Amino acid sequence: MTKNLFHDKTAQWTIYAVFFLCLAAIPAFVSDGFLLNQFATYGVYAMLALSISLCWGFGGILNLGQGIAFGLAAYGMAMTMQMQSQDASNPLPPFMANNSLEQLPFFWEPFWNTGFGIVLALVVPTLFYVIFGSLMFRARVSGPFIAIMTLAMLSALYTLILDMQPYTNGVNGISPPAALHIFGTDIDPYSTKAYWIVFALLLLTTVASKLLTQSKFGLVVQALRGDPERVRFLGYNVALYETVIYTISGLIAAIAGCLWVMLVQYVSPAQFDVTFSITMVIWAGIGGRLSLLGAILGALMIQGGQSYLGDQFLNTWLLLLGGFFILVVRFLPRGLAGLLEKVLGMVADRQPRESGPIARPLAPHHAVGASEK
Amino acid sequence: MPHIEFASVVNALILGLSIASIWLIAAIGLTIIYGTVGVINMAHGEFLMLGAYTSYVLQSFFGLPFLLCLPASFIVVAAIGLVIERGLIRYLYNRPLDTLLATWGVSLVLMQGVRILFGSDPKYVSVPEIFQSNVEFGFVSLSVFRIFVFGFTAAVVAGTVYLFYRTRFGMQVRAVMQNKEMAASFGINADRVYMTTFAIGAGLAGMAGCLFGVLAIVLPTMGTAYVVQAFLVVVVGGGTLVGSVAASGLTGELQSIFAMLSNDTFARFLLYVLIVVFLRFRPRGLFAVAKARR
Repeated sequence: MTKNLFHDKTAQWTIYAVFFLCLAAIPAFVSDGFLLNQFATYGVYAMLALSISLCWGFGGILNLGQGIAFGLAAYGMAMTMQMQSQDASNPLPPFMANNSLEQLPFFWEPFWNTGFGIVLALVVPTLFYVIFGSLMFRARVSGPFIAIMTLAMLSALYTLILDMQPYTNGVNGISPPAALHIFGTDIDPYSTKAYWIVFALLLLTTVASKLLTQSKFGLVVQALRGDPERVRFLGYNVALYETVIYTISGLIAAIAGCLWVMLVQYVSPAQFDVTFSITMVIWAGIGGRLSLLGAILGALMIQGGQSYLGDQFLNTWLLLLGGFFILVVRFLPRGLAGLLEKVLGMVADRQPRESGPIARPLAPHHAVGASEK
Repeated sequence: MPHIEFASVVNALILGLSIASIWLIAAIGLTIIYGTVGVINMAHGEFLMLGAYTSYVLQSFFGLPFLLCLPASFIVVAAIGLVIERGLIRYLYNRPLDTLLATWGVSLVLMQGVRILFGSDPKYVSVPEIFQSNVEFGFVSLSVFRIFVFGFTAAVVAGTVYLFYRTRFGMQVRAVMQNKEMAASFGINADRVYMTTFAIGAGLAGMAGCLFGVLAIVLPTMGTAYVVQAFLVVVVGGGTLVGSVAASGLTGELQSIFAMLSNDTFARFLLYVLIVVFLRFRPRGLFAVAKARR
């Protein structure tokens, strides 16, 4: 029996390389700024799917509240960009004046400084995940209860931000008037520059996540997905491992949140909507939660399909998506990537046994085959 | 600390009871399904919504009186629940996370299906005139319908307790809950117990939805407004009937008191945070059934 190509590390890395080369080729073919902006937005969604795959697929932590990190970071970024349009003579964003605030609220003050603002946009959600995660995991909250708790926390933040109308502009959200100005240049959201920033960060987070899952840490995390009690008896601090993987996935979602606001110049409580967070889980679920690239492709496929069909068929599309998701959960718990794994496994089984039971595949040769799938 | 009058405290407490009864009737179907079958039913909110639409259709197209809409919603939504259990849920009993996701898919399909059938514009369920008036208790004013909801919830709880603790079926359910294999070896058809319980839970949700159709407007998305509270009641209560009654009473009163001191939305935020902290110390809820750790 030959080894399943799906599990071959060289083949995996080759596929990743091919995928990112394809993404890198896009600006050469797309000159329309609007379309390029849309592709970059898909990149952000891909990053969210990646973060879900890391947390749910590898850690077994079903996080239905990933919008917490995404939304908090998005608000931080929007506040930073908003303050770039204000100055000492006119320190109040227009919506605050409309809500009859006299002074800039104290928690807006740090966002005067762009660098500091972006750091805050990343640190606040990450810290939130550390605290919330360690609270939950040390109490040994597990399985479906984590899903409910993250959902409850998400709803709580949603209502809070809605409620703080004078400070967050409530349901209307914040729309910074100008593009992000950083390192001496403007990042026009419709430019190739913005696309390359998203590309670089998607590449960085994907490679880091891939390396993480292959490390010893990643193996322990996958072990506790299977049986946390056994891992605990082996002497590992399960809560610590869970908190760390949960936080890393939160950090990736936070980066995605910042990039998203950079691209669309807008944020509203809708980013904390329960439906949006569960949509992320659907991307990863359909694409394949046990495969980082599978989850990414799931996000690209579903969001691509959604905007291709347009708003006219949105209701039908969501109906079909729900139905398809039910089928995937019922018959393909590992998503489309799991289907590929099965097919490649069958191919491997059918190949003649060349050199006995401990046959090792010729990695580079197979890798070429994999890239042609 | 603002000056708090005695009257407004009493008012808040009575309002809290009313909120509690609404959350309890929303949560009771979920409690039964979670407590017995162990399924986290994400489509629960949509079962509520279906109940509301059932009443709307029966009332506006067939002229059924409101009080008959309640049992009719129960029957219709229980039948839908039965189909979903037979067609999907029963294959996923040993995969709790997957049932959660699959039922989310179900909820998406139900919501979009209703939206395509009935459109996104709001519908209304009307009640007899006697329910539309208000009653004064000294300094507290409450609508008759809210009192009806309170009484109805109490009756449903009593009925459910009777079903689960005083009938042969209830004994079978509790036997299956305690030990499925043992119960099966005594000749109880566990599969059928699960099926029936799921259908009853769905039906109760449908009946609650009929009430919510009166309390608020009927929309395809109306279920999501109640489902998070319903989940929290179940989680805080630990999945037992008594637990859900206590949890809804507690959370309803807290919500009402916090709302008196600030406003509705901030009260909800505070309540959610408190519940998360509470679960840190009692992860299995108020009245946790002592279960052997796996």
